[in-house]
Amino acid sequence: MMDAGRHPRIELFTNSQVENVSGFVGNFNVTVRKKVRYVDEDACTACGECEVVCPVAVPDEYQEGFSSRKAIYIPFPQAVPSSYVLDMENCLGTNPIACGKCADACEKECIDYDAVDEVRELEVGAIVVATGMQPYDPTEMDEYGYTRFANVITSMEFERLICAGGPVEGHFIRPTDRKTPKSVAFIQCVGSRSLNRGVPYCSNICCMNTVKDTLLLHDHYPEMQNKVFYMDIRSFGKGFEDLYRRSKEAGVQYIRGLPGDIEEDPKTKNLYLTVENTLNGGVERHEVDMVVLAVGLVPRTDSEQIRQMLTLSQTSDGFVMEAHPKLQPVDAPTKGVYFAGCVESPKDIKDSVTQAGAAAARANILLNDREVRIEAITSIIHEEECNYCGRCVRVCPFHAITPANKKQGVFPKVVEAACSGCGTCAAECVTDCIDMRHFEDAQYYAQIEAILAEDPMQKIVAFACNWCSYAGGDNAGTSRLQYPANVRLIRTMCSGRVDEDFILHAFRKGAPMVLVSGCHFSDCHYIDAVTWTQQRVEKIWDKLEKKGIRPERLQLEWISAAEGQKFAKVMRELEKLRQAVTEEEVAFTVDLLIREQKPTPKRRTNRDTLALLN
Amino acid sequence: MPESVKFICLRCGHNFVADYTPKVVEERTCPKCGSNSVRRQKGKAAEKAAD
Repeated sequence: MMDAGRHPRIELFTNSQVENVSGFVGNFNVTVRKKVRYVDEDACTACGECEVVCPVAVPDEYQEGFSSRKAIYIPFPQAVPSSYVLDMENCLGTNPIACGKCADACEKECIDYDAVDEVRELEVGAIVVATGMQPYDPTEMDEYGYTRFANVITSMEFERLICAGGPVEGHFIRPTDRKTPKSVAFIQCVGSRSLNRGVPYCSNICCMNTVKDTLLLHDHYPEMQNKVFYMDIRSFGKGFEDLYRRSKEAGVQYIRGLPGDIEEDPKTKNLYLTVENTLNGGVERHEVDMVVLAVGLVPRTDSEQIRQMLTLSQTSDGFVMEAHPKLQPVDAPTKGVYFAGCVESPKDIKDSVTQAGAAAARANILLNDREVRIEAITSIIHEEECNYCGRCVRVCPFHAITPANKKQGVFPKVVEAACSGCGTCAAECVTDCIDMRHFEDAQYYAQIEAILAEDPMQKIVAFACNWCSYAGGDNAGTSRLQYPANVRLIRTMCSGRVDEDFILHAFRKGAPMVLVSGCHFSDCHYIDAVTWTQQRVEKIWDKLEKKGIRPERLQLEWISAAEGQKFAKVMRELEKLRQAVTEEEVAFTVDLLIREQKPTPKRRTNRDTLALLN
Repeated sequence: MPESVKFICLRCGHNFVADYTPKVVEERTCPKCGSNSVRRQKGKAAEKAAD
C-alpha cells in the first residue's frame, strides 16, 4: 500500500467512492467522489496533537469495537496516506456545539471544517475490480450464542485480540474477566457450507486460518488447551498440510463434529459445548473459557452498485462471474474490466496476490497494445427501418448501444468495442432492423428451411447456445451417450439471439417440436442475456396458446457444457414429445402460420451487410 | 415480495406452486422431472389448475 502511495505513476484515491462508469474498453470515463477528510492530507504530519485533545470517544471499527477511537483519527496504523481524518458524524466541531479543540491544537492549521467532497472525472483504459468481501455475521446462528455470550467471538475479533497492534497489545484475554483463558474452542464452517443459513459454498480460508490461530496460541501460551470442532479440515495448498500436522503435534485437539448448542455458566462465564463426535458416534460435552467462531466470507452487501455500473454478472453465490472460469479467470465479461481478490470468490492472501498480478498483467497487455482487437460478431443497426423505440438499448447486457433520440433524429448506435455479440438486441428488435454479423437472420432461416426440407414431421429443431448447450451436445457425443438422431442443432452464440420469428418459422415449415436451450443463469456468458430468452419464450408460449397451438411443442432448457448426460436425457424426452404430436396439429399450425405470416422480411445477406459497412 | 404462484411443467405436465416475484426473472425447474420448460399459469388456467 505504501509502495503504491509513493509510486510516481499511481494516483491513490482513498476514502473515495466510484459514482459512475461509462464508456468501453480503452475509453472508460469514471466519476470518483473523493470524500472530504476535513484535514489537508498533504499538510498533516500525523503528529497526533488533534487526537489528544479530541473529547469524543466512539467504538473503533478497525479494532472490532474492543477499543475506542476519537472523532479525529487515523483509521489504522498503516493507513495511506498517513494523515488524520475527521469523522463529522461524531465530531462536536460544528454541530450542535462548537468544539474546535483539534483545530486549535493543530500547528499546521490543516483542519478545515468547511471542506467539501471533491468529484473527479477520470479517463482510463482498463479497470481492475478489487472490492473484496465481508465476513459472515453469525448472529442468526443463535445456538452459538454470539452477542448473547461475551466470550463467544468471531475469528475476525480474535485477530484483533491476538495482534500486537490490537486493543490489548496481543495479550490474549477473554472479554468477561480480562484474564488469559485456559482453554479455547474453535468452531469451523460458521455460515459456510450450509444450505439453510449462511452460504452453501466453502469459504476457503477458515480452516487454515484456524490452524494458524491454534499455533499462535500454542506459541504464546503453551499451557493453553485448544480444541477445534470441524466437519473436514481442508488443508490443500503449499505447506498447509504440514502446518495442520504441526498443530496436531502441538496438542491441539481436533474433534470431528459441530456443536449443536453452547451454554454459559452464569457465574464463571465458562462455556459448555454439546457435540456429537462423528468419529466415535458419542455425544460429548466440553467446557472451555472462550469460543472462536470461524466465520465464512460473503459478498459485500454494497457490491451490487459496482456490479451494475460495470455491467458485471454474478454467480448464484453473489460473487462476480469471470468471462471464462478456466481460460479467462481474471477477465470480466465486459471487455477491459478485470478482477482481483475476494470480489471474485473467497480466497487467501496468496491467491489474491496471484490474481492481482494476473489482472495487472492483463490490463498492461491491453494498454500496451494501444489498440483493441474486437469481437467479429457484433450487431448492425439498419437505420432506415429503426423506429427509435429504444428496446435494443434497454436489453443490451453490455450497454453497448447508445440511446436513440427521435426528436433530434439520432438513431441508436452500436459501440462495437463494447458489443460482445450475444444478439439479444437483434432478437428483441420489433422492426427487425438489427442483424448480427456472421449470425444473420438469413442464415438462420436458411438453416431452418434446410432442416425441414425433407420429412419435417420426424425432425426436432434445437437452438443451442455456443458456450453451454452446444458444448453439452459435444460432451454427450464424446461421452458416447445415445440420443435420438433426428435432433437438428442450430448453433447461436447466445440463446438470447433466438428470435421469435425463427421459432415461428420452424413451426411454419412443419417442425413438430422446437427447443431453445442456453446456459444456466449463473453461467451466462453475456451477463443476463439468458433472462431475456426466458421472458421471450414465456411470451411465445402465451401466443401459441392463443393461436390454438400447444405450447408444449416449444421447449426451453438450460444445459451447461458439462451436462452431456442432461443433454442426452432432454433429447430423449423431446423425442417422446415429438411422437405425441399428430400430423393434423402440425398441418393446422402450418396452415395458420402461413395465413398469419407478415410480408416476408427482407432477407439480408452478408453482401447487404458488407454494403452497409462500406 | 414473492408470492405463491401456480406453475405447470410443459415437459411432464406436473402442476406445482412456487414463489414468484414479479419483474424478477429466475431460473425455474420442475420439481418432478427437472425440466426448465416451466410456465407460470395465469388467469383461467391457474383457476383450472386449482380445481
